[in-house]
Amino acid sequence: METILQGTAEIRFTHPDAFREWVREHKRREMVEKLMTEGEAVSRCVADGDYIAYDFSSLTRGPQALVREIIRQRRRDLWICAEFTLHESALLVGGGCASRIDVGFLGYGNYIGRAVSDGRVRVFDWTNGALASRMLAGARGVPFMPVRTLLGTDTLRHSGARVVHDPFTGDPVCLVPALNPDVFLVHVHQADVFGNARIFGTNLFALEAATAARKVILAAEEIVDPLEFRKDPARTTIPYFLVDAVVHLPFGAYPGGVQARYELDLEHIDKVNAIQSEEQMQAYLAEFIYGVQDHADFLNRKVGWHRLQDLARRATIREGYH
Amino acid sequence: MIEFTDTEFMICTAARLLEDRKTVFVGWGMPQLVAMLAERLYTPSLVQIFEFGAIGPQSLIPFVRGTMGGPSNVYRSLQWSNMNWAFAYAGTGYVDYGMIGAAQIDTFGNVNSTLLGGTYERPARRFPGSGGGNEVASLCWRTILVMKHEPRRFVERLDFMTSPGYLDGPGGREKVGLPRGTGPWRVVTSKALFGFEEETKRLTLLGVLKGLSVPEVLDGMEFRPLATDLVEEIAPPADEELRVLREQIDPSGIVIRGEKMRAAR
Repeated sequence: METILQGTAEIRFTHPDAFREWVREHKRREMVEKLMTEGEAVSRCVADGDYIAYDFSSLTRGPQALVREIIRQRRRDLWICAEFTLHESALLVGGGCASRIDVGFLGYGNYIGRAVSDGRVRVFDWTNGALASRMLAGARGVPFMPVRTLLGTDTLRHSGARVVHDPFTGDPVCLVPALNPDVFLVHVHQADVFGNARIFGTNLFALEAATAARKVILAAEEIVDPLEFRKDPARTTIPYFLVDAVVHLPFGAYPGGVQARYELDLEHIDKVNAIQSEEQMQAYLAEFIYGVQDHADFLNRKVGWHRLQDLARRATIREGYH
Repeated sequence: MIEFTDTEFMICTAARLLEDRKTVFVGWGMPQLVAMLAERLYTPSLVQIFEFGAIGPQSLIPFVRGTMGGPSNVYRSLQWSNMNWAFAYAGTGYVDYGMIGAAQIDTFGNVNSTLLGGTYERPARRFPGSGGGNEVASLCWRTILVMKHEPRRFVERLDFMTSPGYLDGPGGREKVGLPRGTGPWRVVTSKALFGFEEETKRLTLLGVLKGLSVPEVLDGMEFRPLATDLVEEIAPPADEELRVLREQIDPSGIVIRGEKMRAAR
């Protein structure tokens, strides 16, 4: 197939066979307990230079405690998949952790916009749908996914997509390369110690990304008996063999919410969004991330029992989330 | 006289465009309020689709800002799925309307929501980028663009083309491989309503807010939109629309605030 047009973005790409071989070597098939602290999970699974993806959004069921741990451990030169990403991209850049961002949606606040304009972080423009398709290709073990989007736009020219003539219709079609992240972070409602997991409500690409990633860190609101999964297997979102680390992190999506568990804390979110200057950013990181030992310490000293109970009490919509 | 904000006018005008018993892909923020208002006053059987896989939500009011995926915004959906499936429905032609915002548009309805000024590597101002906007503009049958009316936003040449309108004119979309029969349909601004002329696919003025003149609306634009013979007068927000918006949907005024406007009833 002749390439008609090729986008200019640098891409992180793995040959499907290389990925398969990595899985054969490294992913454990036996059911072993993977419960560990967030500190252990990040130090084992996240290395400098890694490509990181996450699900769902910054404000709902996002892996915020894991992101804070990555910043606390001062990982460097990360490449992040910014889909539905709001304040955590700013925090990762502010913490000096992220140097490249694949953009689906990169909001919000002036801090991240200025970091891009100042050249402190490089962005490559894709779209939410293109990144989801890339993840699907990565999960299928195929090198690319054809899509009928991006076509004709600057988004395509600045992405890493290519346009070819489709051999079936003869029409131009856009090909997006498979994405196999080094690490996928996901916060779930329930998990067992082996890594079987349930997500209630919508998701971006939780199963696709868990399948496509080399390493998966699962943060769970609740650890449940493994038998629960066998009693109701249709509700399993992610099976254990995709998962490398399970971390029990109640309120781990804070300041975002988790459906039917606790509401988001808009006051804290507004505080993060109001960050404009480097000074404000460093002050925030010092107080809320570097200045605490771990997630439990963060909740105890920076959020507090009363606040958490109030957020939990406000999560009154339960139907559908069980 | 009736007083309202530019945002309220956009929301009301867009809500009146939606068709009942159809499907609409709803973008983040203002389009959510458009759909909520339409659902309550005009199109009770409109089926909304959110890009992360909420199909047919009946969002609770008051509107909860920010978290489109939170429990109140995806309340009583018909299906909770994921992004690849939401775009699968659009890709196979099940989605009639799409609604997205824009920072700039050109005469063919091409959209910029990525950056303004400078270079790609060092933009003067950086915005969130496509999000799912490119998918909506590529795959839905009819796309509605919602944009604050500022002449500098109507440009000859976009600083960056994020999402496709008619590209370089008639046949442009088909030539690059976009699904045939799709494209921008209406542009709702805080002063006017535009469509696209069938033959040339160029932006065409359809209506202006009651009390405004055509030159007042078009002054300062880099290109001159076509105008129909009879440019309609668009009614300002009705009392009932404003009541529902202000009292029920957005009582904290977080989205509907904006520049004050007034018009005769």
